[in-house]
Amino acid sequence: MALSLALLRELEGILGAGGVVSTLEGRMVYEADMHTFYKGAPDVVVLPETTSQVVELVRLCRREHVALVPRGSGTGLIGGAMAPVGGVMVSLTRMNRILELDFANRCATVQPGLINLWLSQATREAGYYFAPDPSSQMVSSIGGNASTNAGGPHCLKYGITVNHVLGLEVVTGAGEILSVGGKAHDHPGYDLTGALVGGEGTLGLLTAITVRLLHVPAGVKTLLASFSAIDPASEAVSAIVAAGIIPAALEMIDETFVRAINEGVGAGYPKGAGAVLLIELDGPAAEIEAQAGRIVQICRDHAALEIRVAQDEAERALLWKGRKEAAGVVGRMSPSWILQDAVVPRSRLPEIMREVQAIGARHRLVIANVFHAGDGNLHPMILYNDLEPGELERAKEANDELLRACLAMGGSVTGEHGVGLDKASSMPLQFGDADLNFMARFRRVFDPDGIMNPGKLLPSHPACGEVFRPSAPRLPAGAWV
Amino acid sequence: MAVSAPALGDAFAAIVGGEHLTTAPSQLAAAAVDGVTPRWLARPGSLDEVSRVMALASAEGLAVAPRGGGSALDLGTPPLRLDAVLDLSRLAGILEYVPADMVATVQAGVTLDALDRELGKHGQMLALDPYGGGSRTVGGVLATNASGQRRFRYGTGRDLLLGARFVQADGTVTWGGSKVVKSVTGYDIPKLLTGSLGTLGVIVEAALRLHPVQPASGSWLFSFTSREAAGALVVAVLASSLEPERLAWLNAAVLGLVGSERGEAALAVSVATVAEAVTSQGAELGSMASRLGARVSALDPAFWTRMGGALASSTVVKLASEIRRLPFWAGEVERVISRHGLTVSLVGEAGNGILRAAVEGSVSPDTWAREIVAPLREALAAEGGSLVVERAPLYLKSAADVWGPVPETALAVMRRLKAEFDPGGVLNPGRFVGGL
Repeated sequence: MALSLALLRELEGILGAGGVVSTLEGRMVYEADMHTFYKGAPDVVVLPETTSQVVELVRLCRREHVALVPRGSGTGLIGGAMAPVGGVMVSLTRMNRILELDFANRCATVQPGLINLWLSQATREAGYYFAPDPSSQMVSSIGGNASTNAGGPHCLKYGITVNHVLGLEVVTGAGEILSVGGKAHDHPGYDLTGALVGGEGTLGLLTAITVRLLHVPAGVKTLLASFSAIDPASEAVSAIVAAGIIPAALEMIDETFVRAINEGVGAGYPKGAGAVLLIELDGPAAEIEAQAGRIVQICRDHAALEIRVAQDEAERALLWKGRKEAAGVVGRMSPSWILQDAVVPRSRLPEIMREVQAIGARHRLVIANVFHAGDGNLHPMILYNDLEPGELERAKEANDELLRACLAMGGSVTGEHGVGLDKASSMPLQFGDADLNFMARFRRVFDPDGIMNPGKLLPSHPACGEVFRPSAPRLPAGAWV
Repeated sequence: MAVSAPALGDAFAAIVGGEHLTTAPSQLAAAAVDGVTPRWLARPGSLDEVSRVMALASAEGLAVAPRGGGSALDLGTPPLRLDAVLDLSRLAGILEYVPADMVATVQAGVTLDALDRELGKHGQMLALDPYGGGSRTVGGVLATNASGQRRFRYGTGRDLLLGARFVQADGTVTWGGSKVVKSVTGYDIPKLLTGSLGTLGVIVEAALRLHPVQPASGSWLFSFTSREAAGALVVAVLASSLEPERLAWLNAAVLGLVGSERGEAALAVSVATVAEAVTSQGAELGSMASRLGARVSALDPAFWTRMGGALASSTVVKLASEIRRLPFWAGEVERVISRHGLTVSLVGEAGNGILRAAVEGSVSPDTWAREIVAPLREALAAEGGSLVVERAPLYLKSAADVWGPVPETALAVMRRLKAEFDPGGVLNPGRFVGGL
């Protein structure tokens, strides 16, 4: 262990012995997030319960030049919660309380470790919910969501997490408590709230988050449309949006996934479909009725094989269960997989999906797809078997080609998972030197000594391979996309 | 090495072209910012020219004020220094627009009207409707984070700016964000730029999220004999599943200006969706309001443009409070201001806790500072709100800080940001919060 015993004692002084995990079996729990290419138990894990403990932690680590890595529920898909050798991992799971529900101001203030779904559960009876819904929402934390600016199916209509964060309390890498934003809108000065969301733990540790609550819509309507192939389904997506309809969610599930989901989850998606669209509308009853009618017509015009409208809440829940648990069934298809998270302008969807198929064929690999089609946010899953010589290499090449193809169409490196360790080296594909330099300087303003989550988000930190211990990829225990 | 003023003028002219550089005193006087007259007014015609102007200004230690349509030049503290006004109005092109993507990349100088005309052909819009109208430029609206009534449904520039190409103080051309509706790649630099009053960089190009124009819309006015009843309707609407597009708070003075019936306070509400839902939501709103004693009348769509005229005063104050406190502050601001013989027109974004007060009449700087700005600002700040003087004559600006205090820790971070990206104080020195 690279961490000194003296530092360990000081950590225990701040957090108490119960707030410090230093045994091997204890640390093993934290060896990776859901991105399993890199693994390695952190030297120590600390579990603060108060903001003042977090401040003491940061000040101590700053004094000792020790890296700090925040971690929520560990559902990240980018290796963002990997601690370098000699670093301290800060698990925020104990800071999981709702600090205030304020329906009159349509907002809530929560601690970072609060599970996303708990907030909607706590507010639903009063008629409210928290819109950002990453598919891992039953386990992912709001602090993690805000740190990675995580998305989800309902981003299509309601925007990503940053659009729902009103204020933050942050302990910056400089060890100061920064309170920005809040219940009132439009605070004079720079929009630090907006710029801190998505910081991936490189700027500071979030200790409280004020989020917008939305009123539960009057009605909701969930439709499923099946197609013979992914091509007409992609065209239908473009046509729906071109018709001026922004559904609450518009998700694509390809043939490979339809089969696996039906077998694994029993979602009852149409057998033999080449592609399925899951479309959800919400809003005033008259609005969703009219829009549903248009969507049915558009799907028919694009040769839909079958169109179903969920008749009750149970049927709707089942349709969503298939989608939300999709990644959990990947194991039925393949021992290993690489998950891409790039974005294309949505008008390029039909084109990029043809490219995805072509790349798979070229590398003799199956690429399965379940993703946020309305946003153009792709999630090709490249299936491979690491016991077969050369397959991992081919999978990595295919993954790289996919990313480059998306960027060539004017897309983005990541739509909702973030950059983390996984994509730090891909940043120069989307940004030039001046752009990355600006971001690096921005980071330094908050973290002058470079102790906050080093090696993540920006490519400037060399030798990630030395800082982090890569391991042979293996089958994840389950994941969400 | 310092260059003489005529030589600098020649250098600017060499960049933008002599016909796009103004040194005529009368025109420079018209380009003054809060009475501070620049030495040059430069109108660059390309990104590269903006970059070269900034590089030169930076090398020579000059102060530059970027401007779009010039309608928000009143915002901010008078500049500490001003050598060149950088007018972006020639950069008014729509660079990329694929309707199916609902994203447009435009140059900063394009006006809201010009953009609206183009987007309207495809049934789309940029959902920013700041007061002051369509002659405002995209760059100016973003740099000032100006917003209007549609923010209730669509958010502000903060939520609609996906990507930005900007020029740093030293002339470095930089891009932040993306051109797709969903991206979390790197720090959200567009958020940092939105509302920064051009103090960190000059926005030259913006990738914007668009929305479809809804097939139908309806607008209604609900006027009340008491402020409390109007407040109760706000509460009722926010606690319902109604999805209005705009929820405007108006006081009696504004009702008079827009030619509507009298009342103590009123809410103007619009709904935009399919025709059937406009009808049903309108009916629900109507019965909700009637139960609270409102007089209901239908509004024509032009009302929303007319209403902005209520804020066309030389003195405008913006208050931000908690949403639920807006009715209280509406009463409070009227009481505090009208006590001094001034008239107050109030327009509020009732679903966001934002109120703007347009003040007419004469007031001494001392009264302004001590009896109007300070007490309102202190009471608002105690609740986490703020008061910004968006527009005021110089004699009032010099009496009370237009921005008000920013919490010390946050201000320290803002100072470090400014020092990092504009160490020489080239961009709008002194005009932003805390003298940034």
